Amino acid sequence: MAQTNFSKIDEYGFQRSKNFNYEVYGDFMSQYYRVLARRTKRWEELKDSEKHKKNNTLKRFVRKGIPISHRTNAWMIISGAQLLREESMLTYNDFKQQINNQTIIDMIQIDLPRTFPDNIYFSNESLLPSQLFNILAAFAHQNNDVSYCQGLNYIAGLLLLATKDEEATFWLLKVLVEKILPQYYIKTMSGLLTDLDVLDELIKIQDPVVYKHIKDIGMPWAVATTKWFVCIYAEVLPTETVLRIWDCLFYEGSKILFRVAITLIKLHREQILEARDLGELVVSFKGMAESPNVINCHKFITDIFKIPGSFSKKTLDKLRSKHQQQ
Amino acid sequence: MANNVHNFKVVLVGEGCVGKSSLILQYIENTFNSSHITTVQASFLTKKLNIDGQRVSLAIWDTAGQEQFHALGPLYYRNSNGAVLVYDITNESSFPKVKVWVKELRKMLGNDVCLVIVGNKTDLEKERHVNLQEAEQYSEAVGAIHFQTSAKLNEGVEDVFLALTNKMLEQAAKQRSRSETLERQGSQRRNVIIVDDEETAAPPTSSKQCCSHS
Ligand SMILES: Nc1nc2c(ncn2[C@@H]2O[C@H](COP(=O)(O)OP(=O)(O)OP(=O)(O)O)[C@@H](O)[C@H]2O)c(=O)[nH]1
Ligand SMILES: [Mg+2]
Repeated sequence: MAQTNFSKIDEYGFQRSKNFNYEVYGDFMSQYYRVLARRTKRWEELKDSEKHKKNNTLKRFVRKGIPISHRTNAWMIISGAQLLREESMLTYNDFKQQINNQTIIDMIQIDLPRTFPDNIYFSNESLLPSQLFNILAAFAHQNNDVSYCQGLNYIAGLLLLATKDEEATFWLLKVLVEKILPQYYIKTMSGLLTDLDVLDELIKIQDPVVYKHIKDIGMPWAVATTKWFVCIYAEVLPTETVLRIWDCLFYEGSKILFRVAITLIKLHREQILEARDLGELVVSFKGMAESPNVINCHKFITDIFKIPGSFSKKTLDKLRSKHQQQ
Repeated sequence: MANNVHNFKVVLVGEGCVGKSSLILQYIENTFNSSHITTVQASFLTKKLNIDGQRVSLAIWDTAGQEQFHALGPLYYRNSNGAVLVYDITNESSFPKVKVWVKELRKMLGNDVCLVIVGNKTDLEKERHVNLQEAEQYSEAVGAIHFQTSAKLNEGVEDVFLALTNKMLEQAAKQRSRSETLERQGSQRRNVIIVDDEETAAPPTSSKQCCSHS
């Protein structure tokens, strides 16, 4: 059995869930290791000029997955975080010096022990919780509209686990919240409410049967998908899948979130249609996290560019302005 | 009627970190997890009860407590029959937040929604920062039942949901009898209207006569 070959803790320090499907995972990993090795080799061969600026080769490379060893640098470049850092008047250290507001400090302190408590790297002896505090507090002090919002702890936490680099994590968080994602984290969460309405309209077009079923049961999208947006799938999908999504998100922007949402719903439409009430529906959405469809992240990423069909930034912008919250 | 299941929707609200998720976890699964994670997305659990032969199914909604997520509140408390408003007895600012919720729920759901106010973390009595008497007086004034709990030690948790369920059953009975009376009144009124019609049909003719006379 494949079971014995894999540790109960994944490569990012997360405890695998009780129902973790080692068999599916084993089958997938046996081929994915080869993919990873090939991708790493291809990245090594990339010319500096191709690695340091957005271009079509790089975009293709990003969609195929950025190897762990190249991720921090690649993310910094394709997201614009690098540029943000270069153009900023203040350094990360300057931002850290500004931490002084006790209310904000308390708010973040409350969430530190509640962020990934089961992750071995976030255990007490580790440096990570204090680094996470610095990042969240420095960010909160320089952005008054957002300050600190729950959800950011998971995003920054996973960025930190993926990059193991406190400063890079700060800039990546900043570029995500201030440039890439809409207004999810401000007081009114208006960007989130808008995107939930956009999702509603997209599903109506993409899969009217599922749409009607969800409406008949009466589930508001927020019930099943708040976390999809607010945590950009962290704490929702398997870690490797999330990081592959983030690769694309950093390059292509927030429309990726909808590609993923539509794909998740369409891949799991049978389970959704089988649900007879709200409780079962919520369970069917939760179950997506463990399905073979998403464990195989390599296939899943191909799916997100196939299943929803073409979906341009322009379409998204139009939908967003149509559903803009007053 | 007695064989029907009463379906009640209950929503838990209150400031972040007061113990909403912990209360539900203790109530439904009888466990306490001190490293419980922050709620970002509201979740939903069901519990079946049998109270004096009346079958009840509770749909319990756990919401996110942080300020920002207040914006999503209406999505979750819509059509609630009951609400548990939780504060942390060791955290002064968590009690005013309960007052904000009472106002909002009353405004949006009216007087039919049953409210329970809960002071959680009584195992930390030494660090109490919310005055018990004040909390009880306030609760009474707004027609809410007040409870104290420790989700950690499983004290008072069961009582909260039991009392709330009883109150919701009472409320449901009241609503039933109210709508029955309305129905009765409705049919009576229909009779009255018919009579009215006949009555009002008469005077105009007489007033016309009256007018034509003048
Ligand atoms: N001592 C003590 N600690 C408690 C009790 N109930 C909850 N806690 C702790 O308080 C913290 C917050 O509890 P949660 O249940 O996550 O709080 P919440 O209200 O759901 O918070 P949000 O999801 O952020 O809105 C956790 O660390 C719990 O372990 C209690 O009765 N006694
Ligand atoms: Mg919670």
